[in-house]
Amino acid sequence: MDIQTLTLALGDSTHAGRSFDVMPITGEEPVLQVTVSGAEETPVYLTVTDTQILCLAYLFDEQELNPERLNELHENMLRLSVPMPLSSLGKTGDHYVVYGALSPTSGTAEIVQELVTLAENAIDLLQTFEDYLA
Amino acid sequence: MKSILNKLLSAMRGGVNELGEAVVDGQGNRILEQELRDSEQELKQAKQELAALMAESASLARQIRSEQDNASKREQDARKAIAAGQEDLAREVAERIVGHERRAVELTQTRELLQQRIAGLKERVQRAEKQLADYRRELQVVKTNERVLRTTAQIDTNINSQKSSLNTAKETLERIRERQAREEDRQTASATLEKELTGADLDEKLKAAGIDGEQDAIDNVLARLKDSPAQ
Repeated sequence: MDIQTLTLALGDSTHAGRSFDVMPITGEEPVLQVTVSGAEETPVYLTVTDTQILCLAYLFDEQELNPERLNELHENMLRLSVPMPLSSLGKTGDHYVVYGALSPTSGTAEIVQELVTLAENAIDLLQTFEDYLA
Repeated sequence: MKSILNKLLSAMRGGVNELGEAVVDGQGNRILEQELRDSEQELKQAKQELAALMAESASLARQIRSEQDNASKREQDARKAIAAGQEDLAREVAERIVGHERRAVELTQTRELLQQRIAGLKERVQRAEKQLADYRRELQVVKTNERVLRTTAQIDTNINSQKSSLNTAKETLERIRERQAREEDRQTASATLEKELTGADLDEKLKAAGIDGEQDAIDNVLARLKDSPAQ
């Protein structure tokens, strides 16, 4: 699965009543910004490597958090990461993210499911962790 | 793997605010790739050597069997010569038998040494294969990390230049709440519309005003019954 094929496939796809708005992010790396209808606030970013299709959504930045409750938040994130369907919680640079990795041989159906789940999870997580914002 | 992961972690902690490139250990990456190529080369050589040795061992096994077959065939010849009283001929055949048997023993010894070398080489191949898998896994971690950093840097640059999508978490939450409120309003509106269409809302209003069609009907029937008592 490559970025071009995926861009075309996503434009025509629907999953559980959702449609997808795809925008390539210009730069060296092939990155797509996918906006899922009904979860427009948390766009999912998708990139394809040799070994995986990586989808991620941003939650918050470190500087937005209440530093005194950081440990408690980390603990809760680790605990929620396990039962969260198809998604894991992580951190890259200053960004806290929710992400999912798929095999590069995944079809459109799997990718679309991942995108919807990830966007919804991002919203749920943001609302769950709102109290930890500074 | 552990050393790679530790290196990555300390690089990340050290370079949290810098761009992806600063965190990526390009040199380490090249060293890993070189190690990977060296291991692949070693594995290829070892496998070729192994194949050659195994072919040689199979050929030796064939020769050994052939010497043993010849020896047992000659033994029958010798028995016949003895039975015919041809002692000299029997001796000559016996010499041949000794020759076959000696060669069989020599070949077997050679083959045993060869089998030991094969066993050693197989172990080397297995080690190299495991090593190779380790290197590949390490390289995958390093490269994925590199890719994620470059990707997120790219998203940040693009989104920051647009100043639109990558809002603060609070702004995002605000927008989520607004959408959820809109959705709720829509649901309430469509429920209201539904009631209007079925007349359910009018019944509710009448009931609230103390006008209940159902109750009136029952009262009417009761009144009628009372007017015409049982005969």
